[in-house]
Amino acid sequence: MQRTSNPLVGAGKTILKARTFECMGTVIGLTMPVDFLTEGQPGLVELAAATAVVERLFHELDETFSLYRPDSEASRLARGELKLPQASARMRERYAEAHEWRLRTEGAFTPERPDGVLDLSGIIKGHAIGEAGTSLLALGRGDWCLNAGGDVLVSGSPHPGTAEPWKAGIVDSADRRTLITGYALGGNSPHTAIATSGSAERGEHIWRVGSSAEFIQVTVAAADIVTADVLATAIVAGGTRMLDRAAGGWDVAVLAIRADGSMLATPGFQPA
Amino acid sequence: MKLRGTVAAALASAGILLAGWQTGTQVNGISTVASSTTATGTTGATGSGSSGAGSSGAGSSGAAGSSGPTGSSSTSGSSGSSGTSGSSSSSGSGSSSGSGTYKGNTVQTRFGPVQVQITVANGKITDVTALQLTNTDGKSIQISNRAAPLLRSKVLAAQSANVQTVSGATITSNAYLTSLQAAIDAANL
Repeated sequence: MQRTSNPLVGAGKTILKARTFECMGTVIGLTMPVDFLTEGQPGLVELAAATAVVERLFHELDETFSLYRPDSEASRLARGELKLPQASARMRERYAEAHEWRLRTEGAFTPERPDGVLDLSGIIKGHAIGEAGTSLLALGRGDWCLNAGGDVLVSGSPHPGTAEPWKAGIVDSADRRTLITGYALGGNSPHTAIATSGSAERGEHIWRVGSSAEFIQVTVAAADIVTADVLATAIVAGGTRMLDRAAGGWDVAVLAIRADGSMLATPGFQPA
Repeated sequence: MKLRGTVAAALASAGILLAGWQTGTQVNGISTVASSTTATGTTGATGSGSSGAGSSGAGSSGAAGSSGPTGSSSTSGSSGSSGTSGSSSSSGSGSSSGSGTYKGNTVQTRFGPVQVQITVANGKITDVTALQLTNTDGKSIQISNRAAPLLRSKVLAAQSANVQTVSGATITSNAYLTSLQAAIDAANL
């Protein structure tokens, strides 16, 4: 699935290059500043290698956790052919993590569907992104931006050696082709991860606590992607109450959009 | 003595549970840590959290294990205070057969103060209840990070040309094709 391109450009300074692949029903993209001329700087070969590592990691997790694959461990659990105590360690770890989040969010985030089927999809993508980030750092890559279907984790800067942050745009819930605002990630920003959840989100893994959704789109920036992802999901489900809880209990920035287009934002999203 | 032991053990377990929960929920170091109700239970120092909700179970309630009931229940086990005055008193009926309700110290968590109450009947714990899980007055919220209305006109709308990545609700592979992110990726191919 990887797309490659022609290394034509470059004159000693870095330019951003991206590689994408498909997994978990969406598209994952890795963007890195590459340098074609300077010895020791990552080039297209390094980008391709890094993308391959990320792609393998995503596919491995998908094989275990996808409910869309009948032969996955998650599907066998859902059908009752496998019981949790007999499940793999990685399955039980994610289950425990998801339950911990359920407690922390007072049930606004939950790993179980209303019909009782265990559904860890609300946490797996974030987990995959985080693991991929760890792998990239282990590979020696310090400057990158990883975007999995709108959830983003960054490291370093788009301009290596500087403190300049990556800039993430936030999609306007009313018009997917426009951005409503932006947020700085990495660089000198305390937050390196950002995730957005919508009430019309694919897979419907947001089970609302109340009767109706107060927010149609919630974006959370945090120091790690699982926190950002889970809290965004929880706030869509739990409304203002969960928003206040998240803003008070975690070091996060939150932007929440109501169905009528009005917005609530913590200071991190307020214009200076 | 047996009752006190049971109560002490129960409160200790509750304390450990809370402490464990607390530890487990520690994220990014908001200052919430509190010591838990302890087995010896003399005073069980209360939460050091910043939001100063006091410890209702505080005060040296004397002998072993009675950190919860601040009444005079430490000696004979037959009296028990009558639990009328507010949150800190135990309502134990205090018969020598060991029945009543006992409250642990208030422990600060990131969600506000938590206090556990146990009900004992005939020397056995029949119920464990969390009396306070949240404070509704919002004291636990960091004032500095509260959400406020944001007007669209006040937001300097970001231009897609000025961002390197886009965050939005999860999109399908098909939806990706027409997304801003796809355009940015294409520009960086």
